[in-house]
Amino acid sequence: MSTHILKRLLDRLRDGGPPVRTDGGTAAAGSETAGGDSDVGSALSSLRESDAVRSAPFWLPPFLLMGFFVYGAISWNIVISLTDFGGLTLPTYDPSTFDLEMYRRAFSDGQFWIATRNTFVLLISFTGLSLAGGLGLAILVDRGIRFENWFRTVYLLPFSLSFVVTAVFWRWMYNFDSGLINAFLRGIGLDFVASKWLTGSIDTGALGAIPLVPDTFYFKLFAVIFALLWQFSGYAMVVYLAGLRAIPNDQYEAARVDGASILRMYRRVILPQLRASTVSAAVVLMVFALKAFDFLYVLFGSNPGPTADILSTMMYRQAFSANEWAYGSAIAVVLFVVALTVVAPYLYGEYRRGEL
Amino acid sequence: MTDTPDSDDVSRRTYLKLAGGAGTATFLAGCTGGGESTTESTESSGDSESTEETSGDDSDSSTEYNALEVQHWWTGGDGGAAVQALFEGFEEQHPDIELTENPVAGGAGQNLRAVIKKRILNNDPPSSWQAWPGANLQPFTDADKLEDIEESVWGHNDMKNAYLDGPQEAAQPAGNYVSVPLNIHRLNNLFYNVEVVEDAGVDPASIDSPSALVDAMATVDEAGYVGMAQQTNSAWSTGQLWAQVLLGEYGADVYADVTAGNVEANADAVRDSLDIVKQYSEYYPNDAGSISWQDANSKIIEGDAAFFHQGDWAAGMYRGQDGFEYESNWDHVPFPGTEGLYSLNMDSFPMPTNNPSPEATKAFLRYVGSVDAQERFNPKKGSIPPRTDVPQDAFGPFLQNQMDDFSNSEAQPLSIQHGLAVAPDALTAFEDAMASFISNYDVEAAYSAVQSAFQ
Repeated sequence: MSTHILKRLLDRLRDGGPPVRTDGGTAAAGSETAGGDSDVGSALSSLRESDAVRSAPFWLPPFLLMGFFVYGAISWNIVISLTDFGGLTLPTYDPSTFDLEMYRRAFSDGQFWIATRNTFVLLISFTGLSLAGGLGLAILVDRGIRFENWFRTVYLLPFSLSFVVTAVFWRWMYNFDSGLINAFLRGIGLDFVASKWLTGSIDTGALGAIPLVPDTFYFKLFAVIFALLWQFSGYAMVVYLAGLRAIPNDQYEAARVDGASILRMYRRVILPQLRASTVSAAVVLMVFALKAFDFLYVLFGSNPGPTADILSTMMYRQAFSANEWAYGSAIAVVLFVVALTVVAPYLYGEYRRGEL
Repeated sequence: MTDTPDSDDVSRRTYLKLAGGAGTATFLAGCTGGGESTTESTESSGDSESTEETSGDDSDSSTEYNALEVQHWWTGGDGGAAVQALFEGFEEQHPDIELTENPVAGGAGQNLRAVIKKRILNNDPPSSWQAWPGANLQPFTDADKLEDIEESVWGHNDMKNAYLDGPQEAAQPAGNYVSVPLNIHRLNNLFYNVEVVEDAGVDPASIDSPSALVDAMATVDEAGYVGMAQQTNSAWSTGQLWAQVLLGEYGADVYADVTAGNVEANADAVRDSLDIVKQYSEYYPNDAGSISWQDANSKIIEGDAAFFHQGDWAAGMYRGQDGFEYESNWDHVPFPGTEGLYSLNMDSFPMPTNNPSPEATKAFLRYVGSVDAQERFNPKKGSIPPRTDVPQDAFGPFLQNQMDDFSNSEAQPLSIQHGLAVAPDALTAFEDAMASFISNYDVEAAYSAVQSAFQ
């Protein structure tokens, strides 16, 4: 069966690609008969001349490098997480000693759950708010305002800055005495709103009785989310803008002729067509959220404290400060699984729709 | 099945399958080294092994010193100038030893520590490296990665008489000498701005305990100044501060007992000292959460704040500030309640096993333990020598006073935050405890976190 596919594949390559299908229907199978009478010998010689083999110098080296350094490293990390590797003695890697001890330890570690909770809060609120902000900006910019290109550049610019830069100046922005945010709030007479954004908290009072609402609400993680939002909503805007530009003008006109209000037009006609933009922007943003490590590390060092600790900072501390290599690996595997659950549905969806 | 019309279209999926299959096969062949295709590579790797062996033989049989490789994280500022002075001195004494320094900057040594661990695990250590001595080296001694240098190094230069007990204890994390301390930064300091405390009417010298410092800060606060210039952006300064409070309020014995793991036996002391730190936090600057220790220290220099607790590296900033002079503008007392104690933060150079240059390393470590080395290094670094017989001429007035305090100290407690008293895993857990503590100042939670960190 597989040789059959292979042969047909080679035939197809020789024929120079798939037949053109102008109507979107099934093309007539012209290649079926063309390859029908070729024997095994000619199939081998055509294998040598096939694109896949002749292009091997181009795709094979990166394939092997990726396989070794990315997938090899991931597999090795999983192996380490099954050992008891700690301190400065190498483990034996004897499969009979492999166990899930480190995962058990993680699941019974309060700090791990705090970091997991923060990771998900960061992931969900950052992605959701970035998408909303990006969509809003994209619609505004798409309304044909003056200096459109200029605004587009301004909004996208933060995206080009490194986390290290943005983390340092957001630390200055959040300074209670001299930070820009509090200076602004005081300037417009809102002194009582000015807060210690990185260490402060408010008592949620009666709201604390609602499930999932904490008694004390710490600003720290949301200060981080806000800074990341500032940096990444420009990216979401660009993705949405491309999506908006792909929608033909006729549809706007038709909606207007039918008497739809602007709100209704966007809600019923435009937004449903931005699904693909939303999904692809969301995946990229989620992956950025999982990589927020550098931002936190520059802001607070390797230990941001329970109010902003995420899995990646915890993994770093356990592995590189405490020498608990196996435990750090186990946390890394959990983080990897989280990343997979973010990316996999997207990839599967694309695959289902034949876009991959 | 393959003849159905749909499968006629050889999709991208099929390409991927084939590519994946071919890739996996190649990859597996590469891993197992069993296939014909890999014979060649196996041979070539065999060749390279044999060349390594011969070159190894060559270097072993030679009687000259092997090249010395020393790693450190002093890449700039005071530390950079100091370590260059040290290396110059060594090269003057040993022109026959080739010295390569291999600095790794960043992360207050965290980056270098990662490099060293990797090299030790790969059995490829440098000749020596900058390391906190004491319990910080415990993972190395546990894995038997450090060599005993009692005879070869500590037996020279009268080292055992010249070093006080505290530094000697730190050089023996597992009961034998494996490292040579080079410098000491004191941790039980309280710096203050002279004008501010005079204006507020507080006499720092009369504050006799950490709890009395709370009252002094309240007085300063009423006079309109920040009581204590502390940073809470990251947890380490608070870890340091808590240790000095425990030391000052309850003494060196309780401190040593707590760091040895007996937290429960000293539960009241630990709780109370955490509570004192909590009271201090009322007098921190408003922006404590978003500043570094240098920013905090600037508040002393600018006259906004009265007191500052930090290691004595903070004095380096005063030294660099024109018109801000010792005793007239800023001054120093031992942290309240810790008079007669000299709380240690040290750097040292250990001797790894499987050393690439055993003899040259011993020569280097003997030099590090000598008067000449410590006299060159420490004035530039702004630290004091662990040897008590180093002449004071090269040091400024502040460091001379510190050296006198050190020579006359009754005990030299080992630092927690800088790895001398607790092993790295306990230190990480302790830092977690402090990171939680500065976000909510929950004394009870911090107590149980410290207790589980040290046990």
